[in-house]
Amino acid sequence: MTDFLFHSLSEKEKEGVKKEAKKIIDSFSEKLLKVKIPKDEPVIKRKDFEREEGNGTETDEVLKELILENAPNKNKDFIIAEKKKWE
Amino acid sequence: MGITKERLIHCLSEIAKNEQKGKKINAFLHLRDEKEVLKEAEEIDKKIKSGKAGKLAGKIISVKSNINVRGMIASCASKTLENYKASYDATVIEKIKKEDGLIIGMTNMDEFACGWSGETSAFGPTRNPVQTDLVAGGSSSGSAASVALGFCDLSLGSDTGGSIRVPSSHCGVVGIKPSYASVSRYGLIDMCMSLDQIGPLASNVKDAALLLSLIYGRDEKDSISQKGKIRISEVQKIPKKLKVGILDFPVSDKRIQGLVDEKVKETSEKYGWDIGKVKIPLLDLAIATYYPIVYVEFFSATRRFDGRRYGNKIDEVAGPEVLRRIMGGSEISKAEYGGRYYNRALKVRELLQEEFSKVFKDFDCVICPTVPKLPHKIGSQITSEEMFQYDSLTCPINIVGNCAISIPAGKIDGVPLGMQIICDKFQDEKMLQIANAFEKSLNSA
Repeated sequence: MTDFLFHSLSEKEKEGVKKEAKKIIDSFSEKLLKVKIPKDEPVIKRKDFEREEGNGTETDEVLKELILENAPNKNKDFIIAEKKKWE
Repeated sequence: MGITKERLIHCLSEIAKNEQKGKKINAFLHLRDEKEVLKEAEEIDKKIKSGKAGKLAGKIISVKSNINVRGMIASCASKTLENYKASYDATVIEKIKKEDGLIIGMTNMDEFACGWSGETSAFGPTRNPVQTDLVAGGSSSGSAASVALGFCDLSLGSDTGGSIRVPSSHCGVVGIKPSYASVSRYGLIDMCMSLDQIGPLASNVKDAALLLSLIYGRDEKDSISQKGKIRISEVQKIPKKLKVGILDFPVSDKRIQGLVDEKVKETSEKYGWDIGKVKIPLLDLAIATYYPIVYVEFFSATRRFDGRRYGNKIDEVAGPEVLRRIMGGSEISKAEYGGRYYNRALKVRELLQEEFSKVFKDFDCVICPTVPKLPHKIGSQITSEEMFQYDSLTCPINIVGNCAISIPAGKIDGVPLGMQIICDKFQDEKMLQIANAFEKSLNSA
């Protein structure tokens, strides 16, 4: 039993969530394995190999400004993503 | 004063009244600057006066916080994107703006659309507008609540397993999950790309149909989107001959199935439609099919939230339901070499699609309760299995890609209950026609 309200998780709680997720997917997998699949063909089917790309759209300065506004680390014209900092 | 400005002032005053009560409903996460939005309303009214206004002129619209509206915060109700300002308009937003719809703000939702009740938002749950101690339903909780309380006329939500229809049912409004690939998803922050669909919510079928007709159809920015059209003049017609299927599915609260059966019988007798029972054998495996697909695709979709280019790293700040799905997806991806999770779910999905195709050879539509249970109290202790029940009648429609609508059928214990009308793929116009006929019949009873 749990409540589904948002809260921040401790590392211990995260471990609990991971175990619960594994339990859920295993229980679903057991159910699905009981279904008789009549044909064993690949599930990805394509009518056309290449998709229609269209003409696309041009970007503008506001787009660039907003993208840089969202970046946590930036210089005047580019986003700074320091090596290994996000790992 | 012009009609847009007048309507906007009314909506803003309804929102303000609610705010004064201590954010009682918590439907919005970000409202537009009042001066700016009033100015835009005046411009739309000028267009109305000159006869040059679009089809949505005079309508006030809210948008779920996972759809990009340029300059607005698209937080997905998560601390991951807490201050994320959308840099472009989603295609559906471009279409709304072109038709002079006035966007008022961004609505609350379950975090990254991962939820059933509206409780998983990092900014507090949305309360049910009818009984505030109950959940509003999710994940498009704020969209449904904002329409129900007259904070706006229309809203846009997204539906991956019932996220438009479930809150529509609990809040007593109309909500549409269009056929998969009938509405562009460009600009939707995806939860599960093979199931997600943007759709409208409104207080009646006519308004929902109007918005759907304007966002429907092919968009070159969404490569799977298809050409299509909805004719509003056709939606108004009452179908003369119709075979209505009632879904044979065990609903433990007999009052829920009883109410829907009664409404279908009343309306079908009135219009001279035939009724039959529909059994879909694999339906009880829909949840087991749905979640492995959602977990894997969500895990994949969230890998870009690494905190480098924008926002915070999702794995560090997200709540329990989002992390459960990420970790579940990660586990499946690691173990998938045997094909027992995702690949198996895709195969069962094909079987379900075949079963639904057979049904629609004999029936024009299939009807069932939108949600087989009444909403629980906010913060209740419940199991994941109980929570999964919220989607048990809606997620099969996403799995097979068909269209479905939830319309209010009545109330049980004072709580609204929705009735789901399901049609075949790309039969959205026919579905709206049937829903409109039901709405007319139910309102006249």
